[in-house]
Amino acid sequence: MVIRIAAVGDVHLDEDVVGRFRPALEELPDCADVLLLAGDLTRHGTEAEARCVAQEFGGLGVPVITVLGNHDHQCDQVPQVVKVLEDAGITVLEGTGVVLECAGGRLGVAGVKGFGGGFAGRCASDFGEPEMKAFVRTTTDSADRLAQALHSLDCDLLVALTHYAPVPDTLAGEPLEIYPFLGAYQLGQAIDSAPTALALHGHAHAGSERGVTPGGVRVRNVAHPVIKQAYSVFHVGDHLDQGEVSRLSASGT
Amino acid sequence: MTQHRGTGIGPPDEYIEAEIHRLLAEDPAVAEQGITVVRRETGLVLYGEVESAHRREEIVRRVADRFPDVPVTSEIGVIRTEAPTQIEQLP
Repeated sequence: MVIRIAAVGDVHLDEDVVGRFRPALEELPDCADVLLLAGDLTRHGTEAEARCVAQEFGGLGVPVITVLGNHDHQCDQVPQVVKVLEDAGITVLEGTGVVLECAGGRLGVAGVKGFGGGFAGRCASDFGEPEMKAFVRTTTDSADRLAQALHSLDCDLLVALTHYAPVPDTLAGEPLEIYPFLGAYQLGQAIDSAPTALALHGHAHAGSERGVTPGGVRVRNVAHPVIKQAYSVFHVGDHLDQGEVSRLSASGT
Repeated sequence: MTQHRGTGIGPPDEYIEAEIHRLLAEDPAVAEQGITVVRRETGLVLYGEVESAHRREEIVRRVADRFPDVPVTSEIGVIRTEAPTQIEQLP
């Protein structure tokens, strides 16, 4: 059983970017069962920018599933952005999940935007000023909704999709001082609470590709500036021995 | 934005670096958080990667407009969008 997952985040579309990704996206039906977008689809989260996303990522011939990112919230037009994306056939997850029937089995994807807060031992606490407590509670609420969504799916392969990072591993390359703005350990804890096979995120433009949660779940940072290609493709399943983890091979194998 | 003592009469200071970071993130025409500002003896160098040539030019123009007396050079790149030639297998 193999399920083929294409993924990218942080494409930050506006009119000046429309058309840049499309030639590579047209190849997706030949090499992937699904395309996952890890948030920051737009620059400012306007309805007009969402139409650019719909134009670029709509009608691809494979299902497209996304979470939103912090940029997609900038102009407080989230309902309009979501409507434009959904009208284009793009599934938007926020504390929700979806199961797709793929040739290799049932793929479950649970997603939230997530939030910052930092990582174990060096994180913000639910203590002090109302602003700080609201910050941390935003993170824990998001992580709780991710855990619920992950546990709600009946599938053969479970994937967690977030914008913010669930582990610090994939932030390597970013300044240490900004880690608390890039992710939170609670997201990793939620991912580890379910039988998750793979966690995908974006947001950390200067981070690195590969990491693992404390519970052993593979994490991949698919932010466009990190992967430096239109999308990455992962073949996930029981088709290989453990020794072949992360082995790269020619496309289409 | 705060006026800086250093602007135009001395070397760029850390406040200029901070101000450029905020300018690039908060200016609606830019909205970039991933640009690094490095201070050299010759002036400021901007590093990072963006999604279009237009955005790269706009970043340099905005910074030069805000700090007309500080020499600014750019090493900002436009991110490639080719289809992948390799996959990653995860058993």
